[in-house]
Amino acid sequence: MLLQQLVNGLTLGAVYTLIALAFSLVMGILSVLNLAIGELFMLGGYIGFAVIAMHFPLPVALAAGMAGAAILSVVIQKVAYEPLRDAPLVTPMLSTLGFSIILQNVVTNVWGSDPLQLPSEMFDNRVALGSVDIGVMQLVVVGATVALVAIVAYIVQQTSVGRALRAVAESREVARLLGVSVNRVTLVAFLISGLLAGAAGVLISLHYAAITPYIGVDIGLKAIAVMVIGGTTRVFGALIAGPLIGIVEVFTIAYGGSQIRDLVVYGLMILILLLRPQGLLGGSRQDVGPRV
Amino acid sequence: MVQGRRLFLSGLVTAALVSSAQFAYAQNTITIGAIVPSSGPFAEWGRANTVTLDMLEKQINDGGGINGAKLKLVILDDAAKPAQAANDLRKLAGDDKVLAVAGPLTSGACEVTFPVANQMKVVSTSQASSKPGVAKANRPWAFRNTVDEGILAKTSVPYFKKAFNVKSVAIIYDAKDAVSTAIATKIMPTIFTENGIKVSNGDSPISFNTGDLDVSAQVTKLKSLNPDGVVIGADYSQAVTVLREMKRQGLMKPVIGGTPLISSAILQAAPEIPVVAPATFYATMKTPKAEKFVSELQPLLRKTSGLPKDIEPSMYDANIYEIVSMYIDAIKKADITGKPADLEADRTKIRDYMANLKGYEGFSGPVHFGADGDAVKNFFIVQGQNGSWGTKVTGCSASGGGC
Amino acid sequence: MMSTYYAGLLADIGILLIGTLSVYVILATGQLSLGNAGFMGIGSYIASFLTVEWHWPLTVALVISALAASMIGIIVGFPALRLKGIYLAIATLGFGEMVRSFFLNFDRMGGSSGYHGMQHISLAYIWLWAAGIFLIVTILERSQLWLELRAVHDDETAAGLVGLNTTHIKVGAFGFGAAIAAIAGGLFAHHYVYIEPGNFGFERSIDFVLAVILGGSTVGAGAVVGAGLLILLPEWLRFLADWRLAAFGVLLILVLLLRRQGILDRPLLAKLTFRSGAW
Repeated sequence: MLLQQLVNGLTLGAVYTLIALAFSLVMGILSVLNLAIGELFMLGGYIGFAVIAMHFPLPVALAAGMAGAAILSVVIQKVAYEPLRDAPLVTPMLSTLGFSIILQNVVTNVWGSDPLQLPSEMFDNRVALGSVDIGVMQLVVVGATVALVAIVAYIVQQTSVGRALRAVAESREVARLLGVSVNRVTLVAFLISGLLAGAAGVLISLHYAAITPYIGVDIGLKAIAVMVIGGTTRVFGALIAGPLIGIVEVFTIAYGGSQIRDLVVYGLMILILLLRPQGLLGGSRQDVGPRV
Repeated sequence: MVQGRRLFLSGLVTAALVSSAQFAYAQNTITIGAIVPSSGPFAEWGRANTVTLDMLEKQINDGGGINGAKLKLVILDDAAKPAQAANDLRKLAGDDKVLAVAGPLTSGACEVTFPVANQMKVVSTSQASSKPGVAKANRPWAFRNTVDEGILAKTSVPYFKKAFNVKSVAIIYDAKDAVSTAIATKIMPTIFTENGIKVSNGDSPISFNTGDLDVSAQVTKLKSLNPDGVVIGADYSQAVTVLREMKRQGLMKPVIGGTPLISSAILQAAPEIPVVAPATFYATMKTPKAEKFVSELQPLLRKTSGLPKDIEPSMYDANIYEIVSMYIDAIKKADITGKPADLEADRTKIRDYMANLKGYEGFSGPVHFGADGDAVKNFFIVQGQNGSWGTKVTGCSASGGGC
Repeated sequence: MMSTYYAGLLADIGILLIGTLSVYVILATGQLSLGNAGFMGIGSYIASFLTVEWHWPLTVALVISALAASMIGIIVGFPALRLKGIYLAIATLGFGEMVRSFFLNFDRMGGSSGYHGMQHISLAYIWLWAAGIFLIVTILERSQLWLELRAVHDDETAAGLVGLNTTHIKVGAFGFGAAIAAIAGGLFAHHYVYIEPGNFGFERSIDFVLAVILGGSTVGAGAVVGAGLLILLPEWLRFLADWRLAAFGVLLILVLLLRRQGILDRPLLAKLTFRSGAW
């Protein structure tokens, strides 16, 4: 059971990793909490479902879900963030909340509030490794997560776009002086963030094979905790913190504490915030929290 | 988009009609209110309820109305939010001067709306709430056209034991939901123990929370207890997640739960796993009244935009249809005038009619209300397997038996 | 006579106004709290316990629950000093979720089944508290203390340099805000005569913040506008049927885009009250 639970925890952790990274790209660079990310995740899931229902293969569904969520993320950047760039940070946070309300209700009106389910024959293959039973879809989820994190890490660390992102994260003014187009950089941050949330949505909804318009709400809050624990300034933070929280949750449940699971996770988050505000992998830079 | 605009326009028109109707309160109109969750997480239930009520309104008016008066149903959305439900009732009772109210749907909404019904002295009857004791705490104006889960489990558990030769069960439940918690941590463990069945995790039932996508850890733990059967305390949309995970992990054990499990969605989740639950109505049941209801309502539901193309009438559609039909019977039989001056007297007459109801012919047979405000009626222990429900046992919720 | 429907909405507005003010006073020091529903929940459960089980008069119960919550607010406020900006907001979010989760597991007060037995209170009683707290905040706004609060908000380092005790001011604001939120909770419990942990989740916390920002976060009166709007708008949008909540989201974004400082600000308030010049 122990190993099986470890597999469960890693799969859940992969979900957290992707969504946390989606949060942290916007948050780490712009210090804005995009409250619509849970809903981008949900939308990605619905698009993935719709594409699979049309009998396209998984990679097409993944691409479609990512594209859909990314487009919407860019719309959010243009409508909800850009015009409010100079406002106190709470204002763009609330305008993204507006998008989250709109998305939940539009999806309810289009696809209904009942769980949308895949026919159960799909994606049900399993492999047995000794006593541990792993679903093929679980392997896909974990594999895709590692690949996506690696790609994002490469972009952020190695490319000129990434250097621009990091420059803006350090200081908007300095970045501007260095000739970085801040507008373009924020657009890229929202775009990648949307791609990740969409990918998470497709992978997860196909893995769990059931989806509702409200699945983004709780997982979104959890992902914020994961982001904080991993640190918002390092891409790999989420890759460590996601599985960590996934495994902590799973073992809390396994050893009789299913009711206190949320207390444990949020307690851990607050502890990290107080002891190591930059997160587990956050480097030494003390975040200068801008005014809210 | 065109559809959106049409909806918007029709919304405007409806709003105009509703507000003008308030002023042009005609003496020959009988107004009844309803509170349904047409937006939010239970939107589908609320919207199907709305289609059901529109159909009933049309049927009554096409058939000549009530004692010659036209029936008008004022249906308000509460978005499944308790505060909105309470204000909906205030609006229906205070502004729209309805004779009685059907709804609200969720137990959370009933908890805060029933006290308002008592303050305003208007009958409010829920179509779905089954959290123990909610109507009982709010007598005499609160009723529920649902049966206490504790009574239902007394029939479902022995069937479950016999049908699957169950010697032990393990419990998993939604800790955020009051009904689910009551079913899984109070009702079921007691009744299973009474039936000589071991509850493997009676002291520490496994829980998850409404909205959880991942219940893999919970199911792995469930599996390690190696039970003969599984008790799921959850509403069907959460239970779908649990059943999917059980199937994924190969825990192909029969499942038992309360009325919140009944839905067509749950039948698709893991068709190989038998699901046993109590119901007072399901779309494929075979009573003449139910078959007629389904044949009329189903096409209307399926052509309504925003509802799934394969939707079937739910137990809550049937319940709200019964509730408003009872009110109409009351108006016909209890000398109710519908005149503004008699409003208070009329409401009291409806309350007394409901409390003393005898032999109302519902979908499952005769219905009346117990002293606790909950319905006494026939129910079925149904088993879902391979995509459809089938009745296994028929029972009656009267304490002495016999409805 | 006022329709009972509007009386009900007005009660909701009164309770939300108090909750909104609880965020307002904390925000005045530049700290954003996304966890005030937690303080509201604490106040709600304590006040209900005192009136139902110990039969204390409600007013006394409210004062006690406010004191208790304010103590917890101060305890939360101290570690919060280490955090700034959005990180503080996230920490308070975590606090709120922990409180909700705690009450979900607190079987003594019903857990997920909720808690009953409170006596219903009148609309006048709710508004007596709402008006009283609003008055206190308005008086505070004209005091020397408020200038110090705003100084901490605008530039904490500078405020420290000119000799202001920023620790006292920031922690004090948390304690005061928590006390106000607790009163909102106690009134909520005795208006709805039923409470459950789900009443005090993230959604409620964000409602408070939303009302502050929509109404105008630079003047206390903005809280009145914000609270009113948040309750009335979904009601006024009922003609949109299934689309009303989506429309609410659209309007929310529009208001923020058109008036990022909130609907009410000092110039507008001055115009409305026929006062010329700045305060």
